[in-house]
Amino acid sequence: MSMEQERGIESSIIECAGVCKSFKTPEGEHQVIKDFNLQAKENEFLVLFGPGQCGKTTMINLIAGFEKVSGGSLKFMGKEITKPDPSRGVVFQSTALFPWMTTMGNVEYGLKMAGVKKEERQKRAQNYIDLVGLQGFEKSYPVQLSGGMRQRVGIARAYCNEPKVMLMDEPFGALDAQTRYLMQEELQRIWEAEKRTVIFVTNNIEEALYLADRILVLTNCPATVKKEYIIDLPRPRNLVSPEFLALRKEITGIMDSTL
Amino acid sequence: MKKGVLKYRTSDKTVNAVCACIAIGLFLILWYWGTAATKLGMMIPGPIEVLQAIGRGLFGKVGRHSIIAHVGYSMMRVMVGFAIGSLVGVALGLLMGWYGIAEAIFNPLFRIIRPIPPIAWIPISIIWFGLGEDAKIFLIFLAAFSNTTLNSMAGAKSVDPEVINAAKMLGASERQIFTTIVLPASVPSIFAGLQVAISSSWATVLAAEMVRSSEGLGWMIVAGMNNNDMIQILSGIVMIGIVGFILAIIMRKAEEVLCRWNKSGE
Ligand SMILES: Nc1ncnc2c1ncn2[C@@H]1O[C@H](COP(=O)(O)OP(=O)(O)OP(=O)(O)O)[C@@H](O)[C@H]1O
Ligand SMILES: [Mg+2]
Repeated sequence: MSMEQERGIESSIIECAGVCKSFKTPEGEHQVIKDFNLQAKENEFLVLFGPGQCGKTTMINLIAGFEKVSGGSLKFMGKEITKPDPSRGVVFQSTALFPWMTTMGNVEYGLKMAGVKKEERQKRAQNYIDLVGLQGFEKSYPVQLSGGMRQRVGIARAYCNEPKVMLMDEPFGALDAQTRYLMQEELQRIWEAEKRTVIFVTNNIEEALYLADRILVLTNCPATVKKEYIIDLPRPRNLVSPEFLALRKEITGIMDSTL
Repeated sequence: MKKGVLKYRTSDKTVNAVCACIAIGLFLILWYWGTAATKLGMMIPGPIEVLQAIGRGLFGKVGRHSIIAHVGYSMMRVMVGFAIGSLVGVALGLLMGWYGIAEAIFNPLFRIIRPIPPIAWIPISIIWFGLGEDAKIFLIFLAAFSNTTLNSMAGAKSVDPEVINAAKMLGASERQIFTTIVLPASVPSIFAGLQVAISSSWATVLAAEMVRSSEGLGWMIVAGMNNNDMIQILSGIVMIGIVGFILAIIMRKAEEVLCRWNKSGE
């Protein structure tokens, strides 16, 4: 733990200390996040692993700056987070693509808002469209794409702004098992090609173990970090290696006891 | 089984077209038979006389102008009033949907003004603008304006908040979000309003012309009544139906093109 903290002080990009979040509801205050601590380091793949409805999306919304913390401190590169910023890209659980824009339109949107000239921004967008494997679908609208392809657009759109941190909220949660495995491999490939700090939310243990450098296991609502696992298995990971299976068993055990 | 039937009924364009032709044909035959073989013939002319009169008048003369010119006069009034009215209506509606304060101010006024049909304003419009074009355009403006505002407001209010978050995350400013997200996301609702607005504008121009004018399809009907010319009245009514039908088709096509993204892939 002390070694972890040292590393954190060195190059911590997101720092979250004692963060709380509660919502006002007709039945009174509803606390969703309680005393949440995390530090995300440069180019680290950090997975938040928690049960359904435990407050994972809320945590992503806080880091993205869509919502304000009710207590504690949440910093990005040393500064309190107050509003959304292109340096923190988000891939949404629901994709949240712009349905009236084509793949190209979606991916180049951030650059367009920043006033980058058309030729330049389309060149850069094309680069990320190629990276996520969507060449040939530049002119397709989201309704014309499959679920997996839509999430690829979402990933390219967030990447195209060259953010420091990528926040991914169960991006593959709505996909069928086969597509989901494929997308996990793809994401690993993309991340190896374009290293970023990634904070990735999931409730799927295999997905967590396949992708993570580090896993934070969350408690049920209100969410707080229950336990941390550093995963230093070689990549790409073998889903049936004894180490993988042992970790899987251990973490699943921990999860169940929090439910 | 049920599902198959439903799919067949809604998706097969040729079947729909054939059904439409058969229905119109049957109606014409019934009209023809009714006027030729029963006492109805003493009250209204048959379809052949009416269609012949339209054919003669199309480029000939009904009063001082051809039917085409009458249609043109009515259309001109509609187009000017509709363009201004829907532009103002859409802009105000989107602002009302996006800025709560604009809704709080304007919405109560709208709930009172909207149920008043545009033709109720005819006397006021004549007092304010006289008997010329301005009064008619004002009425059509009202028809288009009141029918587009609330739909546009509903569109702007129903934009997915996650999509707005996505735009913020990508660095869009408040103004950019309004023009690049709220406006296009509202286009389907805006079109629902424009559809009603165009039919309402068309109905309103005819009413306005019937009250006072010297040309247009509304004039044609009233002049027919004054001359006891049943054929001219019916020619006018048939033309009103045809033009209204074409306007609705144009609007639907425009919607299809602009809202392609809203339908699932072809
Ligand atoms: N704006 C809000 N107002 C009130 N309650 C909220 C709000 N947002 C979230 N909640 C509540 O907070 C809890 C956690 O929600 P959240 O969406 O963060 O969970 P999640 O872990 O992402 O769930 P899922 O697994 O379904 O994605 C839920 O009980 C939800 O009802
Ligand atoms: Mg969620």
